[in-house]
Amino acid sequence: MIEQIQSRVEENLQDLDGIVALRLTNQGAAPYLYQSGDDVAQLVMEPRYPVSETVSKLQKRYRDANFGIVARGCDTRALVEMSKRHQIDPNRLYLICVACSSEQADACHCSEPYPILDQWPRSELIGEPVAGAAPHPLVAEYENITREDRWSFWKLQFTKCIKCYGCRDICPVCFCDACALEDPLWVEPGLLVPDFPMYHLIKAMHMTTRCIACRQCETACPAGIPLTVLYDLIRADVADLIGYLPGADVDSKPPLSLTLADAPIKSDLVY
Amino acid sequence: MEPVQIEHHFEPKIVAFLCNWCSYAGADNAGISRLKSPANVLPIRVMCSGRVSAEMILRAFRSGADGVMVLGCHIGDCHYINANHRTVKRLPLLQKLLGYTGINPDRLILDWVSSAEAPKFAKVTSNFVTKVRAIGPIAEELGMGLRAPFNARPIEEVTA
Repeated sequence: MIEQIQSRVEENLQDLDGIVALRLTNQGAAPYLYQSGDDVAQLVMEPRYPVSETVSKLQKRYRDANFGIVARGCDTRALVEMSKRHQIDPNRLYLICVACSSEQADACHCSEPYPILDQWPRSELIGEPVAGAAPHPLVAEYENITREDRWSFWKLQFTKCIKCYGCRDICPVCFCDACALEDPLWVEPGLLVPDFPMYHLIKAMHMTTRCIACRQCETACPAGIPLTVLYDLIRADVADLIGYLPGADVDSKPPLSLTLADAPIKSDLVY
Repeated sequence: MEPVQIEHHFEPKIVAFLCNWCSYAGADNAGISRLKSPANVLPIRVMCSGRVSAEMILRAFRSGADGVMVLGCHIGDCHYINANHRTVKRLPLLQKLLGYTGINPDRLILDWVSSAEAPKFAKVTSNFVTKVRAIGPIAEELGMGLRAPFNARPIEEVTA
């Protein structure tokens, strides 16, 4: 599999200005812009890291360059969200998509471990798509958990937070210049455990119509907080109430900034 | 002599975000019409209910509000044409999130009160106060005061 990806990258480098993928370093993997002549044998897929943000930065810096990217299913969903928020230019991007194996899908509780190519006219697929894995066990049984138990669970989890902002920094769809989590009006500076409703619920609220379930925040969290349990639950609500699935369609706009005519919601207050 | 029994009666603190064009005028009208409405409500005038972000509501809870109301113009009557369309989508999602983390989602309501609906304002506020009084204090529900959660200390104190 990895040899196939490496050879496709080498072949595509003939036509492209560069391909962003992960490179093995002595500390793990880091995003790297492969250009023709580079040693593609250093290209790796593990450990996971979102390379979409790197592409966005490169595209903004080099306005005429034609880049490629080696993307997993979650990376393509992130690129869809970034594209509709004008963070990347899909016309200048070539996607070498990689379908994840079922073991990888299980490790991420990923319901969609494959890229959706019809969103990307300039793309190719490596590997055989496999079916999605089961959701996180907590998400499946969350309805049966009482409110007291929910609170005691999240109290324990949020107490572990060291406010490193790792979940925000690694998130491929967090790219605002001014971040509410850095605003002293909302998140008080200097508190070692961030205030409960502020930090985590602001983050969760901003994730409602953006989270593409890549689980990078959970992987990056040094305290091991299962953030995606919360994000998965709210994603399901957005799908149920508004009928919007982040990362699925380039043409569907973020519903929270649209009117009811363009994105209706199921509610008693709408008439 | 009989020992004196002191009853601790809980009175909820309610923060109400009122839209400048409808609900604030509605609340004003309720006052002018001398309608009975509870004194627990702290009104905050905002230019539009669409201005009320999740951050503002969460900060109200963090500052010790037992309940938060967001009142705006009816759909179609918004002074800014369709800004309250955002509110009606944002609030249910925040209610869901509160419920998922263990805060009673009934502590947050959204309703529409136009400037002519003074009786509705009195009804909505007194119903909400009664409901939150039954739910109880938020500090009790979460087992701690929200102002300094998890015994968090200022960083100067920790590094000293």
